[in-house]
Amino acid sequence: MARNVFVLLLVLLIVCIMQVLGFSRLTLFHTAPDALAVFLGFSAVTLGRNAGTGFGFLGGMLCGILTGDIGLHMLAGTTGGFIAGSFHIPRDSHATPSQKMRRIYGATASAAFVSHTVLAIGLNPLGLSPVYRIVVLGLLATLFTLMLAFVSNLLILKNTISD
Amino acid sequence: MNNSFKIFLRYNSWILVSLLSGISFIITAIEQNDVPSKVAVAGYDLRGYVAEKIQGFGYVLHLKKENDRLLAQNSRLLTKLLVAETALQRQNALLNIHAATPPAMQGFKTARVIDRTFSERENMLLVDKGRNEGIRKDMTVLTPDGLVGRVVSVSAHYASIMPLIHSDFKVSVVSAGTRTTGLVSWDGGRADMANVEHIPISSTLATGEELLTTDFSTFAIAGLPVGRVTSVMPGRLFSMVKMKPAVDFSRLDYVLLAPLNNEPEKLRMLSTPGPGKREPLTQQ
Repeated sequence: MARNVFVLLLVLLIVCIMQVLGFSRLTLFHTAPDALAVFLGFSAVTLGRNAGTGFGFLGGMLCGILTGDIGLHMLAGTTGGFIAGSFHIPRDSHATPSQKMRRIYGATASAAFVSHTVLAIGLNPLGLSPVYRIVVLGLLATLFTLMLAFVSNLLILKNTISD
Repeated sequence: MNNSFKIFLRYNSWILVSLLSGISFIITAIEQNDVPSKVAVAGYDLRGYVAEKIQGFGYVLHLKKENDRLLAQNSRLLTKLLVAETALQRQNALLNIHAATPPAMQGFKTARVIDRTFSERENMLLVDKGRNEGIRKDMTVLTPDGLVGRVVSVSAHYASIMPLIHSDFKVSVVSAGTRTTGLVSWDGGRADMANVEHIPISSTLATGEELLTTDFSTFAIAGLPVGRVTSVMPGRLFSMVKMKPAVDFSRLDYVLLAPLNNEPEKLRMLSTPGPGKREPLTQQ
């Protein structure tokens, strides 16, 4: 268990670094895919709401340290992880891999949208309309994040979930 | 208690998210209040304060060294000041003696008294001019106030002077008013009192009369003030006359040295003993 937590924390660190230094540069219509949301979706579904919340808090803190807005990213990660925890599948569940994957997609989308919303409320460097930022750009960011989750599923998560 | 625990277990996720959200809000609030900048500024202040204290400590450590250096510098400056002040005083004294010197004495040599010996009967002066500066034995030593003494020995750069207040010194004098001649001597004791010998009781010498050097002298130029009569007491054959020297020997700084006043022929004649010849006054 402790080993798993350590591995997850390490992955979280890598994900945060990749998000800040890599994915955040892949912008389209002022939005970018959220790798942290993908991680939160996966961890919340498999480990539960508390884990999602905790990882969201830590991930937000790491991203915040790297970007400069620590508190806001912590809040976004925490709420995203908490919301993603709603899609948790108990360990003794008999859900199929595809069901689990759907839950993960749902959790990822929820985490991405909530996180984006929190960030959109707190940060508005371009002076865009809040509604536009929350609804339009939030949905776009969620879509990009789902695409990232799909790619991740194909490359990494598929094997993990099937286990 | 059990209920509380059950509630905690049931809503732990909400409690956790509330707690973490609260922390996030607090951090956000701190960030918006620019607390990190303030912390950074406070850090700079602290760093500056510590650096200043460390510098101050280093300053204290070097204080002794600096103090020693300043003491040495102070000593050097004090020495320079003393030298400069002494030179200035000498210059002023020299100017004073030249200003007070009568025109007739302007060609005299000026010398500074650099040493003197005191005793009950024998006082000697040493001046900083010698043979190289044209000083010769038996030259008259004087100040604008009057006779000081005579040169008794000369080296290359120094000359020794026997002053009036020496028991071996004698000079013939004549009173300015009554033209009474006598011989001034000093028998020790007070430096401001000398005797005038060989004054006959028939003399009209009076108290307060000025005594001058005579033409009889083998060394002194005539007409120099020697002193002033302070008391005349008649004796059996001669009066006992006291005089106050014209020169204050306690304040001698610079003196003048007059050119030699001896004529070899006169000295030769005076030194040749003859029948019935008494010892001349000027030989003494």
